[in-house]
Amino acid sequence: MRLEKCWFCSSTVYPGHGIQFVRNDAKIFRFCRSKCHKNFKMKRNPRKVKWTKAYRRLHGKDMTQDSTFEFERKRNRPERYDRNIAENTLKAIKKIAKIRSDRSSDHIKNRLKTGKIQRQKEARKQLEQDIHLVKAPLALAQDSSLRLPKIKVNVSQTQTEENQQMEE
Amino acid sequence: MAASFASKCSRVGRSLLGGPGNNLSGLQSASNEVVGNNVWSQQRTFIQMRTVLKVVDNSGAKKVMCIQALKGKKGARLGDTIVASVKEAMPNGKVKKGKVVYGVVVRAAMQRGRCDGSEVKFDDNAVVLVDKQGQPIGTRVFGPVPHELRKKKHVKILTLAKHIA
Repeated sequence: MRLEKCWFCSSTVYPGHGIQFVRNDAKIFRFCRSKCHKNFKMKRNPRKVKWTKAYRRLHGKDMTQDSTFEFERKRNRPERYDRNIAENTLKAIKKIAKIRSDRSSDHIKNRLKTGKIQRQKEARKQLEQDIHLVKAPLALAQDSSLRLPKIKVNVSQTQTEENQQMEE
Repeated sequence: MAASFASKCSRVGRSLLGGPGNNLSGLQSASNEVVGNNVWSQQRTFIQMRTVLKVVDNSGAKKVMCIQALKGKKGARLGDTIVASVKEAMPNGKVKKGKVVYGVVVRAAMQRGRCDGSEVKFDDNAVVLVDKQGQPIGTRVFGPVPHELRKKKHVKILTLAKHIA
C-alpha cells in the first residue's frame, strides 16, 4: 500500500480513491478526485490554478523549504519489518505532522502580519480623525468616557535638559 | 462497477451501447477526443465489434478491427482477448491485411478497476496479436502495459514489455 500524491492538487491519494491515467510515454498521472482529473483533461496548468499546492508554493503562499519535508521523500527500498521500528515510526509520523502544521501556520501568519499591522494603524487613524461622524466633538470633549485614555509618560529631568541642549 | 456503468448508461443513452448494428457509435467511442470545445467528458466504453485498435508489437500489422470480443456480453476490456481482422499492415510482416487474428487488449481508454479500489486508464486502445494458444506472434511490445495481464496469464507479453504500468 502506498499513499500517492495527486498530480494536480498535490493532496494524498488514499487506496481506493482516484483514477490513474497512463500516457503512452509511460508517464503515470494520479488524481485524487474527478475535479483534478477534469482540470487535467482541460489541459490546465496546476501552477496557474489558484487552489492547488503547486500554485501556493510557487507564489510563496505556503512553506517550501523545511526539514520536515525530508521525512516524506519517496523510498523505493522495502524495509525489513521490525516491530519496534514500526511502532516508533508511527509515533514519529504524528509528531512530525504536528510540527509541520505548526510551522506552516506560522509561515502564513508571518506573511499576513504586515497587512494586519497596516490595518490596525489605519483603524487607529480613522478612530482619531473620523470620530466626529459618530459623536459631535463638543459632546466628546465633555464626556470623558468616550476619549482614548491619556497615557502619562514620566520624562526625567536630565533627559529634557539634554534635548534642549541638542536643539540649540 | 456495474452500478457506475448503469449510471453511465442512463447519461449516454441506450443507443450508444449497442449490438453489432451500431457501427458509428462504436467507432466514436474508441476514437480520440475531439479537439476544442468538447468539455463534456468522453464516455469511454468497451471494445466491441468494429472497434479499430492499434497494434503495438512487431508482428507486421498496424491497425486491426475487432470482430468479436471473447468473454463479455458488452465487449472486451483491458486484458481481454478479441478476435480481429487486420485492416492495415506493414508490407513485409508475419501477418497480412485481411487475416483474422486473435489479440490481447493491452491498453484501453476505458478505465478498469484494480483490486485496491483505484482505477486505471490509458490514452488509446492497443492490442498485441497472439495465436490461439495465447503466445504473442511478435517479438517486441511497445509502450506501457498493465499488470492486469499477469492475472490473465499473459506473462510472455509482460516480459517483452518495456514498461509495466
